[in-house]
Amino acid sequence: MEVCRPIPVVTAHKRVKALGLLLSIPLLLALSLLLGPSGIGFPDTATVSGQAILSLRLGRFFMGLLAGAALSASGTVFQAILRNPLAEPYVLGVSGGAGLGAALSILVGGTLFGAVGLPVAAFLFAILTLLAVYGIASQGGGAPSVYSLILSGVIVSAICSSFIMFLVSTADIAGMHTVVWWMLGNLQPASAESLLVSLLFIAPAIGALWLLAPALNVLTLGREMAHYQGLDAGLVTMSSLLLATLLAATAVSMGGMIGFVGLVVPHVMRALFGPDHRWLVPASAIGGGAFLVLCDAIARSLMPPVEIPVGVVTALCGGPFFLVILRRKMANAWIS
Amino acid sequence: MAAPALAFRSVTAGYRNRSVLDGVDFAIAEGEFVSVIGPNGSGKSTMLRTATGLIRPGQGSVELFGREVSSLKPRERASLIGVVPQKLESPMAFTVGEIVMFGRSGARGRWGIPDPKDADAAERAMIYTNVLELKGRLFNELSAGEQQRAALAMALAQEPRIIMLDESIAHLDINHAQEVLRILMSINREERITVLLVSHDLNLAAQVADRMLLLDGGHLVANGSPGEVVREELLSSVYGCELRVRQDPYGGHPVVGGTLDTVTRRQGGRKRLHVIGGGGSGIELFRRLLIEGYEVTAGVLNRLDSDAEAARALDIPCALEQPFSPVGQAAYEEARLMVEEADGVVVGPVPFGTGNVVNLELASLALGAGKPVWIASGIAGRDYTPAREAERRAELLRSAGALEWPGLPQLISLILREADGPEA
Repeated sequence: MEVCRPIPVVTAHKRVKALGLLLSIPLLLALSLLLGPSGIGFPDTATVSGQAILSLRLGRFFMGLLAGAALSASGTVFQAILRNPLAEPYVLGVSGGAGLGAALSILVGGTLFGAVGLPVAAFLFAILTLLAVYGIASQGGGAPSVYSLILSGVIVSAICSSFIMFLVSTADIAGMHTVVWWMLGNLQPASAESLLVSLLFIAPAIGALWLLAPALNVLTLGREMAHYQGLDAGLVTMSSLLLATLLAATAVSMGGMIGFVGLVVPHVMRALFGPDHRWLVPASAIGGGAFLVLCDAIARSLMPPVEIPVGVVTALCGGPFFLVILRRKMANAWIS
Repeated sequence: MAAPALAFRSVTAGYRNRSVLDGVDFAIAEGEFVSVIGPNGSGKSTMLRTATGLIRPGQGSVELFGREVSSLKPRERASLIGVVPQKLESPMAFTVGEIVMFGRSGARGRWGIPDPKDADAAERAMIYTNVLELKGRLFNELSAGEQQRAALAMALAQEPRIIMLDESIAHLDINHAQEVLRILMSINREERITVLLVSHDLNLAAQVADRMLLLDGGHLVANGSPGEVVREELLSSVYGCELRVRQDPYGGHPVVGGTLDTVTRRQGGRKRLHVIGGGGSGIELFRRLLIEGYEVTAGVLNRLDSDAEAARALDIPCALEQPFSPVGQAAYEEARLMVEEADGVVVGPVPFGTGNVVNLELASLALGAGKPVWIASGIAGRDYTPAREAERRAELLRSAGALEWPGLPQLISLILREADGPEA
């Protein structure tokens, strides 16, 4: 006999959880403003240095929120479209491309890359990589299959990594240090303008993915089933992969290669909110943002005046916490 | 007259540079229950994918209710066709209710918020398929039978006018398979939804369908009532094996059975057959005769010939001659002894030249000794001797009682008939 289980995800519970998630944002804002390598406490806005510290901390808060939201929403979409729990924002080679662009900008610099600046170089290379991956995967015409996309993503990533290693190995100590630090991730925005630019990329892309949520739900059954359910499956697949990659590219070019957020936060949100992307996309965005802000606050206040790279903290602190949630709620998160 | 529910007009279709369907032409009227049968790789799934617009035909056209499939918008298409796959896989933890509601994706608004009409359609579909009480359960935790009913409910929630099933009952036990078919028959009868059932189960297909389509190698080889399509010679030749058809004593529909019993029956006194092959013509013949339970000998063959290599690999005793040499006295003598030991001689579709035409002499010896001989038909096209000697010898053999075989299934049934003849 089978035991009838209760409905696993109750909407009323989801609302409560969503409210909790939203309320965490102002709390984290307060925390971010209190913590920093210059000491604990709200900066004294009467002094010039205090104002500077406040603006630095505000900038980092918003950057963390944006980058975390972008990476996490992107990971959610990659996992749905590729139907693979190991998918993450960098699976199509975005990180390799962005890393190569950043390394070139830092090490070769000069007139070509120096002029456009590091984030732009990283972004452009990420997009170029993406185009190369699609180009390779679409050989033979038609929409590329999930497997050819993943495979060509891995190959192009590997090629980019080789170039980065070559560049780093021939660089001087200072250059090498800069590249490595960039790759570890740093959420300090270069300027208010760069923050605004990333907002202009990230917010519409997340919004568009939210609109695609019902289609993403059906696509988890596979592209052929989605076709039978009345979707233009190829179009939805391609547009959501492009949007997700755009999100990842923006986040990487602004904050470096921050790992873990885009892979694990979507799983945790799926455990908490169920697999419905109408809930999952916004929940992942908010959850990813909140998580990254929290990690960043820890990263810069744990060993003052030294900052730990935020990418180290995301996995170190987040890992155990998320393991607990996933162990308890795995049935809700992913079955295969 | 109303437009047919589904019409293929001289459709050629396939993947990339490989054509699977070739000139397929048929029409299904609204309200019909049609089943599609055919061996693996005959194009059944390709036909279904072409019918649903997943593959565009290279030539010809596919029409749904009088409209070209490729001209339909995705949503219109989903309101006309529902598809139940072989197995629906949901990697994420959606409930049955959510999965069935996916069937309304094409019907409901862009934001995907279901209105009461969507909820009604989904509920009706769940009632029909008896999954309403499973609504809140996780799809992945259901049994295979329940999952297939839920998949059927999803397709029905689309409120389609034609429903297509791609081997959807293939891995259900007989009880659950019948349950799904019963649901299909009732929606077909009561809602006049056209059903296209692709199935490997010839008996179920024949039992439920008004009409059957038989595909073979991408061609539509039969289109008619179960009685017209499920015929012994037709199915035996399409499936490449000996099949028997009888009438079901209760329903009167045809019932197909294999002939595995003949293999086991022969195990006791194994018959030995001598094969005259060469040039690769014997490989399939060796394999088939061994599977059917015969002892096989072969020759005369030249060393390094692909048949000689195959015989060696299959442990078939073989009279051998040097490579590229005409059959000599010693090898011929060896083969003659094999024929003496054999219960019959099979002449494969071998090209004959002056070097190997003497092998046909072996067949004459067998006939002379009262043993049956089966010759592959079309020897005239393979006769490369200057004086058409092979053709002449074959003619003599035929007049002396040798039988011609056009293909392996026919050969097997001829051999069986010979063996069973005296008993029956």
